[in-house]
Amino acid sequence: MADPGSDAQAMRAAIVAALPRLRRFCRGLTGHGEDGDDLMQSTVERALGRAHLFEAGTRVDAWMFRIARNLHIDAVRAGSRRGQQIDIEEIAETRGEDGRDLVENRSDLAAAQRALQTVPEDQRSAFLLVVVEGLSYREAAEVLEVPVGTIMSRLARARSRIDAAVGRSGGGLQ
Amino acid sequence: MTDKTTPEERLSAWLDGALSPEEAAAFEAELERNPELAERAASWRANDSFIAGALAPLADQPIGDDLLAQMGLAEPQPMPIAANDNPVWWRRSWVPVGGALAAGLALVLVLNQRPAALPLDGGLSLALDTTPALQQARLADGRTIEPVLTARAADGRWCREYRLADQTGIACRTGQGWKVEAEGKTPAPQTGGDIQLAGGAGSAAINAAHARLGTADPLDAAGEQALIAKGWGDR
Repeated sequence: MADPGSDAQAMRAAIVAALPRLRRFCRGLTGHGEDGDDLMQSTVERALGRAHLFEAGTRVDAWMFRIARNLHIDAVRAGSRRGQQIDIEEIAETRGEDGRDLVENRSDLAAAQRALQTVPEDQRSAFLLVVVEGLSYREAAEVLEVPVGTIMSRLARARSRIDAAVGRSGGGLQ
Repeated sequence: MTDKTTPEERLSAWLDGALSPEEAAAFEAELERNPELAERAASWRANDSFIAGALAPLADQPIGDDLLAQMGLAEPQPMPIAANDNPVWWRRSWVPVGGALAAGLALVLVLNQRPAALPLDGGLSLALDTTPALQQARLADGRTIEPVLTARAADGRWCREYRLADQTGIACRTGQGWKVEAEGKTPAPQTGGDIQLAGGAGSAAINAAHARLGTADPLDAAGEQALIAKGWGDR
């Protein structure tokens, strides 16, 4: 890459193209619109600051998913972001309220977010990457830096847990 | 894959299309024999599609200029091309340049002089997968590709017309990636942001391909962005 200015511009363009999906991933991960957007912003900041570490020939969106996920874990560990798993009973209680834990107004999105929040973070990441973002198992494994077999088991556990949560809250997701 | 996997892992991988054809066939036979498993498969699939559907609109929301500026990404972006109200849009290109569509394209080209190269060596398919219309991406070999528009063919495939170096082409997407349907030399030199939609063998080839494919009206920018965001509907 001979022209650093052109490279930086190219990277910015690729990041901008990835933003809508990155935002969705961040909101799914955090379960929260504002927290998701904060995470997206931190991710972009980190990506721009570390653009030189980007591996040419790999996907910019996957690289950003990985940054977002790592930042999310750090923030949850530091206690600065809602990251605790919400108890299933608690979800049943908050259902239908327009309260603090309900992060989105639209009911489908809120129901989906509640279901996702019943799933531990590692399983939720795998679920979002494969089921929502359409990554292959191999791509998701690269983002999460785990073997493909781990993606498979995390997805199975995520789906099982979501199904159980849906069953317990009654009436299914819809 | 089946050696050490649990039935739930196999179900999950089956839903994701991640089993080999033999494994999938074996699993489907198991589904036939086991109504409980079949019920769980239906339930998991419904949960998946509900959650994916509920989250889908999140990636359709445009990222506001303020937010882009906050993130240090406020580079000038090409203006989206307005939806065309001509019902059989591609036939316009039989008519020599003129009209709002051409004016819009010329404006966009003027605004979008600088190629936004992707720092990827992923080649044509990747560029077609990820580059919005009227933005340019540079391929690993140095050529510049610019998708011109995105439209659905009569057979349901998504197709994109593009300019690649001095060629104009149209490619449609199958599960295996993009297949070039027609390619020809771009008819007119693009000087001063001026473009020519008609004339020349390349243009005739593209028009013929559009006619053969029965492409519908091109998508607007938001529709195209949504398709790019969801990876063209496949996984």
